[in-house]
Amino acid sequence: MTQFPDLTSFSLEAVLTILGMAAVTYGMRLGGLLMADRLPQHGRWAHVLERLPGAVLISVWVPSALSAGAIGIAGAAATVITMALARNLFAAMAVGMVLVGVGRYFIGN
Amino acid sequence: MSRPGQTESQTENQIQNQPQPQSQIGHFDADTIRRGALACLPLLPSTIIFGAVLGVLAAQRGLSLGELLFMSLAVFAGSAQFVSVDLWRETIPSATIIIATAVINMRYILIGASLRPVFRGRPLWVKVTGMHMVADENWAVSMTQKDLANPGFLLGGGIFLGVVWATGNTVGYLLGGGIPDPEVYALDFAFTAVFAALTIGMWKGKVDLLPWIAAAIGSVIGHYTLPGTWSILAGAGAGVLVAALTWREDMDDDSLEAEFAVEGRDAYGAPEGTNAAKPATETAMETGQ
Repeated sequence: MTQFPDLTSFSLEAVLTILGMAAVTYGMRLGGLLMADRLPQHGRWAHVLERLPGAVLISVWVPSALSAGAIGIAGAAATVITMALARNLFAAMAVGMVLVGVGRYFIGN
Repeated sequence: MSRPGQTESQTENQIQNQPQPQSQIGHFDADTIRRGALACLPLLPSTIIFGAVLGVLAAQRGLSLGELLFMSLAVFAGSAQFVSVDLWRETIPSATIIIATAVINMRYILIGASLRPVFRGRPLWVKVTGMHMVADENWAVSMTQKDLANPGFLLGGGIFLGVVWATGNTVGYLLGGGIPDPEVYALDFAFTAVFAALTIGMWKGKVDLLPWIAAAIGSVIGHYTLPGTWSILAGAGAGVLVAALTWREDMDDDSLEAEFAVEGRDAYGAPEGTNAAKPATETAMETGQ
């Protein structure tokens, strides 16, 4: 049986770096929530906060669909349309991914 | 052996018979955690493959498997981990890595802020414990649940993704290669697809239209002009700006569901400002926290 590689070797430098990464990431996760808790529940700020998740989500996938080329744009469009019609996450993802997979196989990027 | 199966199924029946609003279910209810985990199931193949790709990269860069798994569970942010592991050297450039992580993960400020309705009325300790396992994927899945998810649902998805992610890491690290290229099976597109699909569930009415267009344009401009993940912040910033500019007094929707992404067409078409005659109980719940 081969020795299980390296599970227990931790260098201090690595652990401190990872702790630093974890601290900034968790700090922003919790900080964002606690900041939002201090914003008013009504009016302009509440309205802006309600639009935030959609805006973030769109900003995550629109550029990545673009960088996947024409087939990526087609795949994203197919995913959105399937979701709007079928309201099924699995189906929507499958349609988009199959389209992109098949498109890449036959056409390339 | 006595199994607590009876009580379990009883609680399940109770929940099925009389559905409670998510905001009234316990902080980290076991059944809710399980549902949250199941809701992230479509992400299993792509998460495990990308986890494996990171494992291969980590082995090449000289991280130990223990260090990689520690990072995956302590940081729990895929794109930042890819960049960090890529920057990893014999002498670790700690400052560079931590700054890069902060920049890439800056979107979590916005994601955290948008989770306000999920944690509404919950004590601080629930927020402190519930906000760690928040990745883009379980956040998006939770935000689009009917009547919105609660902290347990979010945590369930996070635990599921964390386990799958760490499993992928381990497989990739041990194999040290031979991982199928994610692009061949369009697995890289899975993340684009899941976020694109879930956007549909976030639509709450025509108030969303202009901010969403602004977000799309902003992120595309950011994509071509800014490095890395700044495009997310550019798009979100543009969306927020337009949302702030297009707000009018009469748009205020004070119902408890207003901040929730509600499935079903009725909620989508509800004209703004028609919720003035909301039940008094809801007002009490909102102001009571």
